Amino acid sequence: MTPTAVPSTRTIGIFHTTDMELEQRLAEAGLNFSLSEARKVATILGRDPTVVEAHIFNTMWSEHCSYKSSRGVLKEHLPTDASHVVLGPGEDAGIVRLCEIDGKSYCVAVAHESHNHPSQIVPNEGAATGIGGIVRDVYCMGADVIGVMDPLRFGDPNGPNAERTREIVHGVVEGIWQYGDALGVPNLGGDVYFDRSYDDNCLVNVVAIGLVEESEIKRSRVPEEARDVPYDVILVGKPTDPSGFGGATFASRILDEEKTLSDKYAVQVPDPFLKRMLTVATFRVLDLVRERGVAIGFKDLGAGGIACATSELGAAAGLGIRVDLSRVPVAEPDMSPEVIACSETQERYALVVPRDFTPEVLRIFNEEFELPALCHGAQAAVIGEVIEEPRYVLEHEGETVCDASTEAITTGISYVRDANERERGGDEPEVPEDMGLVAAVLGVLGSPNVASREHVYRHYDGEVKGNAVVRPGEADAGVIAPIPGEKVGVAVAADGNPFLGALDPYQAGAAAVAEAVRNVCATGAVPIALTDCLNFGNPEIPEVFHDFVEAVRGIGDAARGIGMKDSDEPIPVVSGNVSFYNQSAAGNAILPSPIVCCIGRLDDLSRHTTIGFRNEGNAIYLLGRRTGELGGSEFMRTVLGAIGVSPATVRIADERAMAAAVTDLAERGLTRACHDISDGGLAAAIAEMILLTAPDVEIGARVDLAAMASAGAAGGEGTVGVQEACRLLFCESGGYVLEIAASDEAAALAVFEERSVWFRRVGETTGELGIVLASAEGGDVEVPFDAMARAWSGGATEVML
Amino acid sequence: MTKSVPRIAVLRFPGMNCEEETKRAVVDAGLDCDVFMWNGPTEELVEYDGYVLPGGFSYQDRVRAGSIASKDEIVDCLFDEAQRGKPVIGICNGAQILLEAGMVPGIDRGKVQMGLATNIMPDRDGYYTRWTHLEVVNDGTCATRAYERGDVVPIPVAHAEGRFVSAERGLIEQLFENDQVVLTYCGPDAAEATEFPANPNGSTRSIAGISNPEGNVVAMMPHPERAARLYQVPSNLDGPWGARKRAARDAEAMFGPGPGLPVLSSLAGFFGAAPRGA
Repeated sequence: MTPTAVPSTRTIGIFHTTDMELEQRLAEAGLNFSLSEARKVATILGRDPTVVEAHIFNTMWSEHCSYKSSRGVLKEHLPTDASHVVLGPGEDAGIVRLCEIDGKSYCVAVAHESHNHPSQIVPNEGAATGIGGIVRDVYCMGADVIGVMDPLRFGDPNGPNAERTREIVHGVVEGIWQYGDALGVPNLGGDVYFDRSYDDNCLVNVVAIGLVEESEIKRSRVPEEARDVPYDVILVGKPTDPSGFGGATFASRILDEEKTLSDKYAVQVPDPFLKRMLTVATFRVLDLVRERGVAIGFKDLGAGGIACATSELGAAAGLGIRVDLSRVPVAEPDMSPEVIACSETQERYALVVPRDFTPEVLRIFNEEFELPALCHGAQAAVIGEVIEEPRYVLEHEGETVCDASTEAITTGISYVRDANERERGGDEPEVPEDMGLVAAVLGVLGSPNVASREHVYRHYDGEVKGNAVVRPGEADAGVIAPIPGEKVGVAVAADGNPFLGALDPYQAGAAAVAEAVRNVCATGAVPIALTDCLNFGNPEIPEVFHDFVEAVRGIGDAARGIGMKDSDEPIPVVSGNVSFYNQSAAGNAILPSPIVCCIGRLDDLSRHTTIGFRNEGNAIYLLGRRTGELGGSEFMRTVLGAIGVSPATVRIADERAMAAAVTDLAERGLTRACHDISDGGLAAAIAEMILLTAPDVEIGARVDLAAMASAGAAGGEGTVGVQEACRLLFCESGGYVLEIAASDEAAALAVFEERSVWFRRVGETTGELGIVLASAEGGDVEVPFDAMARAWSGGATEVML
Repeated sequence: MTKSVPRIAVLRFPGMNCEEETKRAVVDAGLDCDVFMWNGPTEELVEYDGYVLPGGFSYQDRVRAGSIASKDEIVDCLFDEAQRGKPVIGICNGAQILLEAGMVPGIDRGKVQMGLATNIMPDRDGYYTRWTHLEVVNDGTCATRAYERGDVVPIPVAHAEGRFVSAERGLIEQLFENDQVVLTYCGPDAAEATEFPANPNGSTRSIAGISNPEGNVVAMMPHPERAARLYQVPSNLDGPWGARKRAARDAEAMFGPGPGLPVLSSLAGFFGAAPRGA
C-alpha cells in the first residue's frame, strides 16, 4: 500500500494529549518516532506540528539520519583529521588530497554506506539502489566516481534458511551488476562472508570513490553569494513518486516478517540509465560552472528526500529555503505534501544556483540532454529559492505546510545509550593429535568464506573507464590509474571479519582497520584514508550498544596506532555510516560487523605488487609472528566446528612497522609477489599465491614449519608436531607473505632491519605445483595442487548456484 | 578547411558509458576525436572521417540491446556515410547497434541478418566479464589492418548479450567464405575456443567480431579500449602479454601500447595516418 493522502491543513495534536491518544495519532499518521520525541517537536515549534513538519522531524530524527545513538561515540573515538584531509565526515563524502600534478591538487572523495534492510526485503532493487545512493554522495561533491566496492554478508547457504539466503545472494549480486555496470562505474571488489547470524538480515555495504580537483569541490551548502544575489533551488532527475517514503525510518527499526509486504514500498526503485544521463549532463553543468566562475551548492537527495536535502543546504550556510511543493514534478496526481517532501525517489539532485544562471542549467538538462524525452517525467525544474531569514518554509497549493527554523530541523537529537558487556566464556577445543594437515588445508581453502569469489566478481564490470590496473583476484586490493596518462595509482580494499565480532568487538574493529590497511599495503600502496560502516543490532539493547562502542574504540586505536606512514598523524577516518537494528522481530541479531575500507596511494603504479608467485627459486619470507591464537579462525570454525574463545589480537605497533616495510619494498622494486595473511592464515595465503598465478606460470612452494616457529631469524631446527603446525598455518594474526628474488634478499633484509619487523625466511618457490610442508613430524607433507584448486575454486561457487 | 589528421566521432547514445576511454584510445592511435551527441546535427556528423560506436547500455537495452538506438536518425546518417566507404567500428553495445541497423553483416544491406543473443554460460546467467584471447581471422578490415592474420590478441569482454547467432540458413558459413568473420575467440595457443570460458558467451563458431563485405564496418564484442595500454592487462593473464605486464618495472613500460591498441591504429591506418603494424 502506498501512503495515504492526508489533508495538508491537518496538524498532529500533541499538546493536551494523553500518551495513549498520542500513540494512536502517531500510528495513524504513519509516524514512528517515540512519544517523547513527538512532544519535543511540539516544544521546539511552540505549537502542534503540521503533518508535513511531523514527517520531516520523524525522518530527520531517525537513527539513520540523526546518528542519535552513535554520534557521541564516534566523536569520542575516531580520528578524523590529518594534514591532507580536505573534508572530514559530515557531508556526503569525505575528501583527502591525493597528489599534485602541474599545480593542480587532485583529491579522492569517498563515501561508505549500508543498504541492508532494503536488500533483505527486495535483494535486487535494494542492492542496486545501494550503489545508486552511494555514487550520488560522491558525484554531488563534484567528483567523478572512479570505483565502487561492496562488502557483503549473507546467511548460511546450507542452513535452515538456505533457500531464501541463496535467493538473496543471487538478487544482491544481480542488483549490483545491473546498476553498476549500466551506470559505468568500475567495481573494484569488496568481500563476502556467510554466517547464520545474517539469515534474517543480510548486509549490503557500498563504497564509492571519486576523483576531484580541490578547486572544483562542490559543497552541500548554499554559497555565501546568495546573501547578495537571488538564488534558485533546482530539483533535477526522476519525477518524485511515493517510492522510498519512510525509507530512513524503515532502516531505523528491526525487520518484522509480518511487515515485509508493506516495507517493500519503503524501498526505492533504481534507474541506472537515467542516472547515467543525469551524471553526464551534470558534469556538463559543472564544466559551465567552472567556465563562468559561478558559485553553486549541490546535494544529492537520499534519506528524507527534498526536505532533508534542501533544509541542510540552507542550514549549512545559516540561510533559509522556501520550496513550493506544487512546483515539484511528480509521477502521480494527488500526492500529499508530506510524501512529496519526504519520499526517497531515486536519481535526483538539488542545485542552488544564481537566478541568472538558472536558464542555462534548465537548458542543459532539459534540452541538450533531453531528460524529459529519455525518461517519462524526468526534468530539471525550479522548485524554490534561498531566503535570507534562516527558516525552512514549504508551501503546497498556496498553503504553508511547514515553517520552522532550519536549525531546529537539522540539528537533530542525541541519546546516551546504556552499554553492558556481554557474558562470554566457554571452552576452546584443542587441535586433535591425529589432525590430518592436508585435509585441514583443503577444508579451509574450500570454506565459502575463503574460497575464490570469482563467481561473484565475474559479473561486475571492473574495467569500464579504462582505468583498471589490478582487478579482483590479482591482488589484495583493487588498483586503478585514476588520472588518465598519469602514473599515480589508487588502491582500495574493504574488510571486516564478523567472527572476530562474535568474540571480541574491540578486536573486530581494530582488525578491520589492520586488514584493510594490509590489503592496500600488499599492493605497494601507502594508506591515506579510512572509512567505516558499523553494522549492529538494536542499540537500545545495552549488550549490543557495548559491542558497538568497543568496535568503534578498536577502529580508532588502530587508525591512530598504525597511522600515516613516517608521520605522527593517524590514518583519518573521513567518512562512514552506522547501521543499527540489523535484527529480526524473532530476535536474531547479526554478529557485530564493523567494516572498514582503506584507500591507498601509489606514487608510481608501475611499482604495484600482486599475489601470484612469479618465478621458481625465489625466497619466501613471512612477516608477522604466528601467535598461535585460533579463536574465530576459519580453521577453528570449519575444521574443528567451534568458534572458540580467544581471537588473534591485533598487534598495532607491529602492523605499523610491517606496513612501512612492505611499502618500502614495493617502492624499491624488491617484491616479486605479496599477500597479506588473514582468513585461513598462512596456509591459505601461500595456497592463493600458487592458485592466483597466470595459468601458464607453474610455481609451487616448499615451506619449512620449523623456520616459521624458530626463535631466531636464522632458521629452524627439528620437526614440528601437527598441533603446533596447525597453530602456525591457520592462525589469522596479521602478517604478510613475500616472494623475494635471491638477488634482492640482502636489500630486503636491510628494510626489515630498518623497520624493525619480525620476519622469517620460511622457504622457496619451486617448479612443482602444490605446497610441500617441510619439517613436519613424520616427514614432509605434500598438499597437491589439483585438490587445492578444486576446493578453492568450488567452495563459494556452489553456494551461488 | 584542410585537415592534416583525420577526425573520428565517438557517438554517444543515451545510456552508453565507454565514450571517454574510447576517445582516449582513438587519440592514442594518432587520430583526432570528439564525442558526438546522438541528437547532434547530422550535417556536422558527415564532416567526420570515421566513426566509433562505443560500449554501454544505449536506451537501457530496452527491447533488445542496440535496437532502439539503431532507429535513431543519426544511424541513418551513419549508414549513408558507411556506404560512401568511411570506416565504422562498433564495440560491444556499438556492435549490437550495427547489427540491429543491418550495417553488418550487410550482405542484404539494411536487413537485420544476425543477432547478438543472451550469453549461454554453464551455471551462470547475466553479465560476464573476462579477458579473452582472439584470433585475427581477417587482417584487412578497418579494425584489424594493424594485425597479421593468425595473431592471438588478448582483449576483455563485458556483456550479457554477445552471442552471434543467425536464423538465416548458411549465413554463418557464407561469412567465413566471404572473409567477413574478423575475430574469433581462441585459446592462448590459438586453438579454437570450443568451450566456456574460452568462448565466453556460447557464440556460434566462436565468432567475436564480423564486418560488412567491404570491411569498412566492423562489429566486435571485445573492448579494445580496455586493452589499449599495458597497465590495463592483468598480471595473471596467460601468454606473452601477461608476462610483459609482470615484467614492466617503470611507468614508461606500463603506459606502453597494449594488445588492443592496434584496433584503433587500424582505423588510423585506414587513412594512412599510422603505419600498418603500429
